[in-house]
Amino acid sequence: MKTLIAVFAILSLSTFCLRIAARPQTPAPAQKSHTLSQSKAKLSQEGERRFQANCGRCHNSPDSLSPREVKAVLQHMRVRAMLSAEDERLILNYLAP
Amino acid sequence: MKGDYPKDAIVNKIVVALLVAFSCASALFAQSSTPILSGGMQFVGTSNAGVDFFQPVISPVLAAPVGDHWLIESRGELQGFFAREDGTTGPYQGQFFTTFDYAQLDYIANSHLTITVGRFLTPFNIYNERYGPAWIRNFQDPAIIYTIGTRSTASSDGFMLRGVAVAHENWEWNYTAYFSALSNIKNLQSGRAAGGRTGIFLPIKGIEIGVSYQRFLQNGDYSAQGSYLVWQPPSIPFDVRAEYAHSPGGQGYWLEAAYRLAANRRNTAGLARLQPVARIQQFSAGTPSPNAFLPSRDTNRVDFGLNYYLPHEVRLNGSYGRQFTPGGNSNIWNFQITYRFLFPAWPGGSK
Repeated sequence: MKTLIAVFAILSLSTFCLRIAARPQTPAPAQKSHTLSQSKAKLSQEGERRFQANCGRCHNSPDSLSPREVKAVLQHMRVRAMLSAEDERLILNYLAP
Repeated sequence: MKGDYPKDAIVNKIVVALLVAFSCASALFAQSSTPILSGGMQFVGTSNAGVDFFQPVISPVLAAPVGDHWLIESRGELQGFFAREDGTTGPYQGQFFTTFDYAQLDYIANSHLTITVGRFLTPFNIYNERYGPAWIRNFQDPAIIYTIGTRSTASSDGFMLRGVAVAHENWEWNYTAYFSALSNIKNLQSGRAAGGRTGIFLPIKGIEIGVSYQRFLQNGDYSAQGSYLVWQPPSIPFDVRAEYAHSPGGQGYWLEAAYRLAANRRNTAGLARLQPVARIQQFSAGTPSPNAFLPSRDTNRVDFGLNYYLPHEVRLNGSYGRQFTPGGNSNIWNFQITYRFLFPAWPGGSK
């Protein structure tokens, strides 16, 4: 029974940690709206460039996907296409802004 | 004694199993990503030297991230083969086959290192890992040299290390190294082998070049070497892919070019959905070996095809190939329709 309780406690703790990790980060202080949109456009442009350079070597961009789906696809492609963490972040921003 | 096994212990084990399943499910639901089911469905009609056959194929891929560093991924294939009873006459008959391409656990340590254990696609050159999926490859038939370094199953059972060793804005150096054990388990066959691949990628120019090596550690050890080139100029939708491979069973190369009839890669209207493709192959036979799965005679081949990308991830492809061998030449016609799918494996994942 002790083992059972220990296993349950460990699994619950790991679930709790994953939930915490999955929470969105606290947003940075608000900046001027046009500066924000400019930097967003720049990020998206860079994301598109990375998509074409890496993913576009084999296939077209997929039809619309939810951010959670895109995140899973990108994790899959980090292994398959050896994307870097930065590639993943920028392409995520491009595919699911 | 099996019959004397205490009931409490069985109940405890069941409860633990349920808790594990529940916690795993909770952990997956709690993530910012969701497990996905993707892949391709394809129907291929072929006429090879006057022999007609049809192949329906479904190839699902499961990718289940667990946190930011762990990933479980798997791909299987269900393929049918229907041909006339006597080759060119008689009623059609056929059967279905299943294959298990990979089932692996990945630990993504960082951008430089991913550790993989389980069954994975053998990373020799680039065709097997990148252009093998039905919804990606331009021609239905794989290259003649495809089995060099991958043999019959194209999968390995063991472990693999891979990643981008060095990354700069203008160039990246990637690598893969693996060891595979011998396995004769049905659907999980693999050979005892070790090898690796390394390449340089220039993202701004769209060029990648690399080399592969494999040492096959059974049936009288032998080596296979390969090299590859990919070129995609960013300014125009033109792709060039090529591979060279050598083994005691023979050596050869393939060179494939594709051009999307568009001013740029973002254009998807009208004629921009059309993509002519061409491939040339030359193979020079070496020492015949039943384990090499290579032609026993010199073989040359040219293919011409046309891709049409319909909306909703559907693609039509038709191709004509001419094969030249000392024993005679033959025509190969292919027509295929391919559907690429992707949806969440859990309910609610598309939110």
